[in-house]
Amino acid sequence: MRARPAREELAETTAVGEIYLRRLIRAQLSLSLTALLSFGGVFAGLPLALWLAPGVDDIVIFGVPLPLLVLCVAVFPILIAVGLLYERRANALDEAFRELVGGPEDR
Amino acid sequence: MTAIIAVSAVALATIGLGAWGVRLARTTSDLFVASRAVTPWWNAAAISGEYLSAASFLGIAGLHMRIGAAALWLPLGFTAGYLALLLFVAAPLRRYGSYTIPDFAEARLTSAHIRTLAAVIVLAIGAMYLVPQLKGAGLTLGEVTGAPYWLGIAIVAAIVAGNVGLGGMRGITYVQAFQYWVKTFAIAVPACILLIHLGGLPERAALFGRELPTAGASGLVVQLDDSQRVEFPRATSYTLDGRLQRARAGEKRELQGRLVLPPGATVPVADGTTAKSGAEWTEPVSPGGDASPVFVYSLLIATFLGTMGLPHILVRFYTNPDGPAARRTTVRVLGMLGLFYLFPAVYGLLGRALVPELYVTGATDVVVLRLPEAAWPGTGGELLGALVAAGAFAAFMSTASGLLVSVAGTLSFDLWGRRERTAVQRRRAFRVAALGGMVVPAVLALGARGLDISLLVGWAFAVAASTFCPLLLLGIWWTRLTTSGAAAGMVAGGLVATGCILCGLAVGDGSGEVLGSLLAQPAALSVPLAFATMVGVSLRGRRRVDSRAQMLALHGPEGLGLEELGFGRRVT
Repeated sequence: MRARPAREELAETTAVGEIYLRRLIRAQLSLSLTALLSFGGVFAGLPLALWLAPGVDDIVIFGVPLPLLVLCVAVFPILIAVGLLYERRANALDEAFRELVGGPEDR
Repeated sequence: MTAIIAVSAVALATIGLGAWGVRLARTTSDLFVASRAVTPWWNAAAISGEYLSAASFLGIAGLHMRIGAAALWLPLGFTAGYLALLLFVAAPLRRYGSYTIPDFAEARLTSAHIRTLAAVIVLAIGAMYLVPQLKGAGLTLGEVTGAPYWLGIAIVAAIVAGNVGLGGMRGITYVQAFQYWVKTFAIAVPACILLIHLGGLPERAALFGRELPTAGASGLVVQLDDSQRVEFPRATSYTLDGRLQRARAGEKRELQGRLVLPPGATVPVADGTTAKSGAEWTEPVSPGGDASPVFVYSLLIATFLGTMGLPHILVRFYTNPDGPAARRTTVRVLGMLGLFYLFPAVYGLLGRALVPELYVTGATDVVVLRLPEAAWPGTGGELLGALVAAGAFAAFMSTASGLLVSVAGTLSFDLWGRRERTAVQRRRAFRVAALGGMVVPAVLALGARGLDISLLVGWAFAVAASTFCPLLLLGIWWTRLTTSGAAAGMVAGGLVATGCILCGLAVGDGSGEVLGSLLAQPAALSVPLAFATMVGVSLRGRRRVDSRAQMLALHGPEGLGLEELGFGRRVT
């Protein structure tokens, strides 16, 4: 007897299909949480760091104090970098899932 | 005069593009198919264009000038909100096929009641977020032409309601994308030119050093038409309507008339503003007052989690063809917002040095408009001022249009339009709702003249973060969410957030640092509460609906051919 294609299991939400799907959701969620933590570390630590670090106000670059530069300029590239990395990884997870269950073209 | 022409040009372009868009939408047999042709770059510009509102264009610079670098957490939070959207919401929601939050709530929880509740919250947030746009319009037109405050509100309300009512703004991605570039150009070019013209940042001592804002080398003249209560941080002499007077340090006085401060005098500050030395003003976080750590964290939570819950945001993701495109678009939005947000701080910095009279009047919200002519008297400044005013109008109109589309759609479809069957009846209901939905915010804006733009915006974000954010996050990622859990969480979060802000307004400043900060920005309190309520009530109830099919619709990647196997993806 031939094994049922995984995508049929999925579409009929059988127990096997559910396991596949749950695994994908877990993987996506842990990716999102990792990205959140890596950025959130910066995001949440920044106010504390700028508040508590001694002498950070006295560092002046191009005539502008460092905290101002960090807040106005430096944070945005970090945001974009996290976004780009996440996008690549999330699409790769989707692709791996497609390969696992097989698309219509595999028939 | 130049400014009037520039503002009229933007208004006419909006009306014209709107009218052109109506025809475009009609010739396309299916709007949905047409929108699939929109590339992620256009889409990202459209999303950014709709998002950058009066709060971004005028509010950040004004708040920066008033409270200092702590205001610069706002643009960071506004942008990071899209990261939260990218990580947890964009792709699943696009796949699911729900474009409004009430729509999502009803489909995910299979309950019509939750849709009504969500619709009511959409209306509340939408109306409150419209008020600052209209207030900005009134301020700007008054600043540019000397027109009365109500006229700007009336003009923008009429244009936007007319445009939306005629269907002009619906699905018109290109108009919003165009507005993004108008706004970015209008804020970036004057900032760069003024910095070059001035040869860098002037008056460093007042900006970063020990000085309070001063009257400058040639003194300062301020015309106070209404009585204004001010505090003198240092002892100084001044003349009021020609009579010489002296004020002691720390003294509060009521001033009215023509105020003249001698060269180098320390500027008195309006009630509600704290005079800060340059060093204090540059600190992003400082103990006490409007830059306290509790307030900053609460603000970051509100903006980070609230963005996804604003009524006009998710609708825009409709124009993405699939989940990966939704992700790509959102990453580009991060870049485009980052580009725009480089510039408001320039106006805050230059404003503190060059237009200190705004500290006396308390109207720091107009610093972006006032700065070009103050920094560069003559034609150059006038042209730049016109450019900035045009950009500001683009900001009010694009955001207000997006909000009104959501509000009118919710009013006409979710709340009472469901009985109206034919397309003609439904369109008529939408038009009536577009006109009606503008009246309440316009009236509120007339009464909100003295209220800070940032307060209303903070409220909208706090409520969005403590109602829709938990609904979306738990609805997408947690299978056991129940209808009663979602309802209880949204009600609890929304009520606590609103209650705190009302208490804060009633109590005023005298409530202590931590409590005062939480009353001004309650997200740090109300968001965890909303999440806890939603999870708690859901776990206590019976596990009912089988959500496996829902999860597959949310998370199943494209290209599996699930549709042909009889699995229906929700299509609207």
